[in-house]
Amino acid sequence: MIVVTGASKGLGRAICDRLIEKNIDVFGLARNVDEVPFASMSCDVSSYESVKAVAQKLKKDGVKVTGLVNAAGIASMNLAVTTPQSVAQKIINTNLLGTIYCCQLISPLMLRNKQGSIINFSTIAVALGLKGESIYAASKAGVEGFTRSFAREMADFNVKVNCIAPGPIDTSLLKGITAEQINKIVSQQIIPKQFKPGAVADLVELLIDSRSDSLSGQVLHVGGA
Amino acid sequence: MSSVESVKSEVFSQIAQLLENKSLTVTDDMPLIGGEGVLDSMKLVELCLALEDKAAEIGFEFDWTSDAAMSRSRSMFRTADSLAAEFVNQMESKK
Repeated sequence: MIVVTGASKGLGRAICDRLIEKNIDVFGLARNVDEVPFASMSCDVSSYESVKAVAQKLKKDGVKVTGLVNAAGIASMNLAVTTPQSVAQKIINTNLLGTIYCCQLISPLMLRNKQGSIINFSTIAVALGLKGESIYAASKAGVEGFTRSFAREMADFNVKVNCIAPGPIDTSLLKGITAEQINKIVSQQIIPKQFKPGAVADLVELLIDSRSDSLSGQVLHVGGA
Repeated sequence: MSSVESVKSEVFSQIAQLLENKSLTVTDDMPLIGGEGVLDSMKLVELCLALEDKAAEIGFEFDWTSDAAMSRSRSMFRTADSLAAEFVNQMESKK
């Protein structure tokens, strides 16, 4: 079973759909799972207790967890000086602490089997140092640092930990960003084109597969950076 | 042997199974982590998972991640006795 956060929409949902299409069992987590048509549970990843409740349920139900995809995330495209404190806090809590909490609490379910794959999400904004994304990039830079260290901690248990850092993918996360802004970011990628959610799902599929067992602690930039 | 003593003995037995040096005897003051610690980080996690299973057998949930468990004795992993004490404490408080 692969646990996917942010499963109700955007990249998380696209990843779930792809895995289900490939006959891989998925357990989706999102704050609102009312319209999620597969096994799921409501969870606010920024709440340690909420994530813990999920881990406890999976353990109690005897679910064999073989993967975790931390796709839940929020963005706010603003200059740091014009970002309200509450928004900055929310971005760090969801993107960074949410990823850490899920890794802390769900990885023990994989350690027992000495097998697993954890995929975290960063952004190309970290590598490119994009203007107007400083707090978002800071939260994701934290995820990258966490991924590298956590990968070493998990290596003894045969659990690989990697990070996907997409450029601007066509999802609801880009709501409010103009085509001009998107084009400007895309033009800085090594492959200057805007990728679809399917490109990210391709990477997830590879990273949870044994074909990528030689990879851990890596940050893979979609579009190249 | 009282139930508490028996559970403590079970915790010590789980520690003993993970010791690389099988000639060592688990004692109350045996340090589990730190410079003199007998368990590396991987063994420590294995111990936690084993104790989780043991707790489930007994009928409670052993929480090795909570602030309460960690701060109560600074770290419950300081010694074999401090770990056994925390395990027993959680068992009794969750009865």
